[in-house]
Amino acid sequence: MGYFAESFAELYNADGWMDMGMYIGAGSSAAGWWTVIAAVMLVGVLVKGNSDEQDHYK
Amino acid sequence: MEDQILALTAEVAAIKGAAEVTNRMFAEAYYYVTIPLMVLIHAGFLLYEMGATRLQNVLSSGVKNLLAFAFTIAAWYLFGWWFYWALPTWPLDFSAGAGYMEISGLEYANAISWAWGDSAQYMGPNMGDNASGVFWGAFALFAATTASIASGALIERIQTVGFVICAVVLGTAAWGIAAAWGWHADGWLVTKFGYHDFGAAGLVHAVAGFFALGVLINLGPRVGKFNADGSANHLAGHNMPLTVTGLMLIIVGFFGFLMACIILPGEGWSWYGDRATTIYGTPMTLSALAFNVPLAAAGGIIGAWVMTRDPFWMMSGCLAGIISVASGLDVYFGSTVIAVSMLAGIILKPCADWLEGLGIDDAVGCVTVHGTIGLFGLIMLGILGSGLPGLGAFAPEDTVALSLFGQIVGAVVMFLLGFVPGYVVSWIVDKAGMLRIPDAVQERGLDAVKVPAQAYPQGMASPESES
Repeated sequence: MGYFAESFAELYNADGWMDMGMYIGAGSSAAGWWTVIAAVMLVGVLVKGNSDEQDHYK
Repeated sequence: MEDQILALTAEVAAIKGAAEVTNRMFAEAYYYVTIPLMVLIHAGFLLYEMGATRLQNVLSSGVKNLLAFAFTIAAWYLFGWWFYWALPTWPLDFSAGAGYMEISGLEYANAISWAWGDSAQYMGPNMGDNASGVFWGAFALFAATTASIASGALIERIQTVGFVICAVVLGTAAWGIAAAWGWHADGWLVTKFGYHDFGAAGLVHAVAGFFALGVLINLGPRVGKFNADGSANHLAGHNMPLTVTGLMLIIVGFFGFLMACIILPGEGWSWYGDRATTIYGTPMTLSALAFNVPLAAAGGIIGAWVMTRDPFWMMSGCLAGIISVASGLDVYFGSTVIAVSMLAGIILKPCADWLEGLGIDDAVGCVTVHGTIGLFGLIMLGILGSGLPGLGAFAPEDTVALSLFGQIVGAVVMFLLGFVPGYVVSWIVDKAGMLRIPDAVQERGLDAVKVPAQAYPQGMASPESES
């Protein structure tokens, strides 16, 4: 992974800022994988949270 | 001479470039500021709900409210944003193709609103895009606001995770689709029926209010709310000052919410180079809001005071006053606003009492304040504002103007977009055993059972501090 640019000099000298992602993993499949990880974590938290909640009501 | 012309041309180009940078940065900052202002709505909801909750359930209400905010924002990022851009023409165009303005439809939404693939570049830091993030942020707060509106009605007996599921459906699908249809230049309610809802009386407030009603039917009342003969008991919250202050904070946040409903000029996504507009491209100024929002707040407070003399209902009237004219804040005259909002404040409590008489335990009057008054506002604009052009310049020739019929159609759609998903999702959650907190737990107090903290550990006797 890592950042997509080694130097900003070339980007600053480009003819205007480019319409492109400037986040870690831009231009790769990393964004999609992070999205999967985040979604799984959110669903997992809900499942665990519900399990704990039902225990409280017993 | 030629050198002077070249120098002048270069200077003009430099000035133009600087003006473009200033305009772009101003537009970005303008929408950015609306986001923390809208967070104040949630600070208000937090105080409001916790104040309206009895002492033994205070923190449980707070946890529920915070999770609605958090999960709705995350879900809006993962899929809610897509609903708004994908579905303006659907189901009239069942394939969800692009509308006349070509900023909608499946293809467009897939290109800009998923957090994976090529569209991911517009869902995170982008070198050349100063707009997507601030628009997404403002819409995320709209979504969280919609979800939080329903929260207050359900306090003291809804399970936390079951509620979060309902809130996510409301804040993403229900609101996202409502906004696509009625708050988008390609939305079919706008282009085919002239639906006008500048400040989201229908597509935020009515949707949220009637979603809450759908959930309330499955959820049932709090233990002790109704007697065996059907008469209702007043279950007073533990801190009225907290509730009233929270309501006032919501009003502060409304200024940010409504500010974000304006499309600034001079950008690639603007309707005009030199004029601010509504989301429909019709004329709009911040001054219109500066006149009408305070007047609506005042009218609502006064109307509710006439009927109740109760500060809780006076501040609810304040909200109702703004909601009652929200659809037409861009076109109403100030005196009209006073009259309409005062009327909203007057009818508020009788409408809430009527609902309670049907056996619905709406703990904070949410269904009435947001649902009933939201629809009231849509219809009032239909009566008073017929003929207003549906869209600004660049609109298709067959765009329909605002009419009473169009507003009624919109009101029915907003009612259904709230009530049906609210009822269906809560029914499913109920069948999964995740909706209602057992009566025995309600009687003991929720905080003592499921919150590892105390609301008032010192100086105030409470069930959880004694346990």
